[in-house]
Amino acid sequence: MKETPLSNCERRFLLRAIEEKKRLDGRQTYDYRNIKISFGTDYGCCIVELGKTRVLGQVSCELVSPKLNRATEGILFFNLELSQMAAPAFEPGRQSDLLVKLNRLLERCLRNSKCIDTESLCVVAGEKVWQIRVDLHLLNHDGNIIDAASIAAIVALCHFRRPDVSVQGDEVTLYTPEERDPVPLSIHHMPICVSFAFFQQGTYLLVDPNEREERVMDGLLVIAMNKHREICTIQSSGGIMLLKDQVLRCSKIAGVKVAEITELIQKALENDQKVRHRKEGGKFGFAESIANQRITAFKMEKAPIDTSDVGEKAEEIIAEAEPPSEVVSNPVLWTPGTAQIGEGIENSWGDLEDSEKEDEDEGGSEEAVILDSVKMDAGVISNIGSQDAPIVLSDSEEEEMIILEPDKNPKKIRTQTISVKQEKAASKKPMKKRKKKRAVN
Amino acid sequence: MAEAAAIAAESLAGSKARAARTVLGQVVLPGEELLLPEQEDAEGPGGAGERLLRLNPGARSRVRVVCGPGLRRSGDRLLVTKCGRLRHKEPGGGGGGGGVYWVDSQQKRYVPVKGDHVIGIVTAKSGDIFKVDVGGSEPASLSYLAFEGATKRNRPNVQVGDLIYGQFLVANKDMEPEMVCIDSCGRANGMGVIGQDGLLFKVTLGLIRKLLAPDCEIIQEVGKLYPLEIVFGMNGRIWVKAKTIQQTLILANILEACEHMTTDQRKQIFSRLAES
Amino acid sequence: MEGAMQVDTQIRTEPGAEAGPGGPGCSLRHFACEQNLLSRPDGSASFLQGDTSVLAGVYGPAEVKISKEIFNKATLEVLLRPKTGLPGVAEKSRERLIRNTCEAVVLGALHPRTSITVVLQVISDAGSLLACCLNAACMALVDAGVPMRALFCGVTCALDADGNLVLDPTVKQEKEARAVLTFALDSVEWKLLMSTTKGLYTNAELQQCLAAAQAASQQVFRFFRESLQRRYSKS
Repeated sequence: MKETPLSNCERRFLLRAIEEKKRLDGRQTYDYRNIKISFGTDYGCCIVELGKTRVLGQVSCELVSPKLNRATEGILFFNLELSQMAAPAFEPGRQSDLLVKLNRLLERCLRNSKCIDTESLCVVAGEKVWQIRVDLHLLNHDGNIIDAASIAAIVALCHFRRPDVSVQGDEVTLYTPEERDPVPLSIHHMPICVSFAFFQQGTYLLVDPNEREERVMDGLLVIAMNKHREICTIQSSGGIMLLKDQVLRCSKIAGVKVAEITELIQKALENDQKVRHRKEGGKFGFAESIANQRITAFKMEKAPIDTSDVGEKAEEIIAEAEPPSEVVSNPVLWTPGTAQIGEGIENSWGDLEDSEKEDEDEGGSEEAVILDSVKMDAGVISNIGSQDAPIVLSDSEEEEMIILEPDKNPKKIRTQTISVKQEKAASKKPMKKRKKKRAVN
Repeated sequence: MAEAAAIAAESLAGSKARAARTVLGQVVLPGEELLLPEQEDAEGPGGAGERLLRLNPGARSRVRVVCGPGLRRSGDRLLVTKCGRLRHKEPGGGGGGGGVYWVDSQQKRYVPVKGDHVIGIVTAKSGDIFKVDVGGSEPASLSYLAFEGATKRNRPNVQVGDLIYGQFLVANKDMEPEMVCIDSCGRANGMGVIGQDGLLFKVTLGLIRKLLAPDCEIIQEVGKLYPLEIVFGMNGRIWVKAKTIQQTLILANILEACEHMTTDQRKQIFSRLAES
Repeated sequence: MEGAMQVDTQIRTEPGAEAGPGGPGCSLRHFACEQNLLSRPDGSASFLQGDTSVLAGVYGPAEVKISKEIFNKATLEVLLRPKTGLPGVAEKSRERLIRNTCEAVVLGALHPRTSITVVLQVISDAGSLLACCLNAACMALVDAGVPMRALFCGVTCALDADGNLVLDPTVKQEKEARAVLTFALDSVEWKLLMSTTKGLYTNAELQQCLAAAQAASQQVFRFFRESLQRRYSKS
């Protein structure tokens, strides 16, 4: 699906508003939108909302063998997905330029800044290390994906707990959460991306651009920084030329923003820990993060369902249901080695849109098999009509067909060539009969 | 298995059809069946009273009932297909049942309807026609001759990215929608290219309908705040322009917020704004 | 959570035995639903059943790719995105089940040559995931204003080793169960739109599960109705 185009009048208005230091949502130049962090019931699962932009983060882990050149280091893997849910223009399964750029930036921000102690993820040097996988899903796109994604990634990593392991000799024991409390990852620092949008060749700057602002911006500067004001990565895109002062000013702003966001993240994590470890079963998870006062939200407590009469109902139905028609009665032995039960139904796998093409690519052989089975079916049906008619078995359409007689007179085996058309005509009548039978049922 | 389920459903007693009269203004859900006053007569309760009022009970007077958006006819049953509040408008003649029934829903996606006035964005110029994005499933076409005073020599000045206010001449599910910027007399009547300033923003279709209702107090209140120019498109787009950027932004934000406010809340907001 | 889920109902499974005495045992976990929470899709809903949570976004009737265009009805697509990793065979199979269910209720003929896309994102899986996906998809379709023949809902039943029936099972209950059955039911006559099962069960048990699912579906539809009434309470 295509994106709604941006009209000239919107573009002009946005730029004029920026000149007057005004933004559509009433923010100031350096303001972030509201950030909301909520956690799921699983460890390492969070949703970050930056205004209307939403990112879901989930961390998972797996024991794998390490890379050859880094035998004592765990592996970190980041994957940001731009789901079509987030915007109509995102197509599933396509690696767009934007996606590649965002993933690369995330890796530079989080992996290359060495914020996670990868050596602590080593279980047996050269043999077993933890692979930590961070899946990020963009759920709604309203600009500034990278900031929201970097926050979601670091929050999910901080929240995550991996199963405890112990090594005795060569034996690696993995403990379930019931046996031993899972352990958090060791995190050195928390890098967070801050985006700056530039307009009019760098004359004006906005922090945290929303989607419409992103569409009219000339360039983007992303600074990833931790709360110690160490720059983790910096990237300028869009081809604008910035002065040294501008970059320095941006890094100063980034420092302030990162400090604020870090504090928010820590508060959110502490809060979640508190409810999670409360003795009397504190409520946590996404259900708690739904604002109940909204009219679009609605909750229902656990509802008992009266299933007392289920048994009676079922019996009633079974009693009322007519016994299955004679179709499935006895296996019919056509020839020694060929038996049949029931008539079978049509293959419904044929209309799988995607797999169909693949099947075709794989070669015609499969199709031939399907044709055959249908044909066999037809042959069998015709047999029901008149017991004397022969069954047809064949390997392909045009080859000779061997007609096997039923067991009664096994001596009369003949060879005959039957065209497909004839056969179809033969099978039509019994087909109708079958339909009628269904209608009666 | 489906047969078995059907038998089970019978024992559960299917959902009852409700009389359209009694659920007016209430929320209806897809799949519900509505009974028109006529049918109430025959099967529903409370029909007796109505029957008495009728002059000639023997010959049923034929009333024209129009089922609008969100309703569909299936045989002689009236079924709901969308969620929203059921609305009804008496026919022009007045009284005697009939009229238009429709469901007022808060959807965002626009489906072109013949005669609707919409705001479109020109996405392409190809030969004699413009392609206009109206938010539907395909772009509408707009002839360069469909402007007031346009001739083969005197072409209108329309650029890609411009806003167009026009109405649908052709809009149905099977054909490409076609827009025009003139009425049947060839007059612009307010339609045409919208000025280069001002702000365009999107709201739900339900809000547009509410704002365009003849006695909408929001528009009157908004008009009292600042002098403004405003265009409403039935496709959920609003273009607004006031003297300054600040005022335009305030207006846009108020209109957006009207969606989820009750009348009282709106009154408070407007009185507070009028003071400041 | 699991502890609180009482499963007293003993439903006899042997064919020919007396109908189970039954009791007030089965229950649905707590439900929550939020609609219209995403700004970009035409309709969206997040649906929670206990700790299972699914987010759904719907676009439509929207522009369709020429290759997927159907001349007399809307092209319905369902995408199911797992939380970790890329969509695999399990997702494809579920997508198809959900698609077929939606196809049965969506009046696609009213919008030919358009696409209706339902994107589902698993937020957390704590049992009865498919049922939750169906419920989220239904609410998102309603939110988008896609014309429908009826509402639909999903109900999952599990049969444990002793033949006890559990409605809306958790992951643990699903794992311990002998059979897990998921049904999609419509809101008009509570007819079956889709069923998928795993494990072994008798004919009688199937009917019992179906009857229980129908009883549960009424509760779910009541929940749908109330949340939609609340949503339109200010208009």
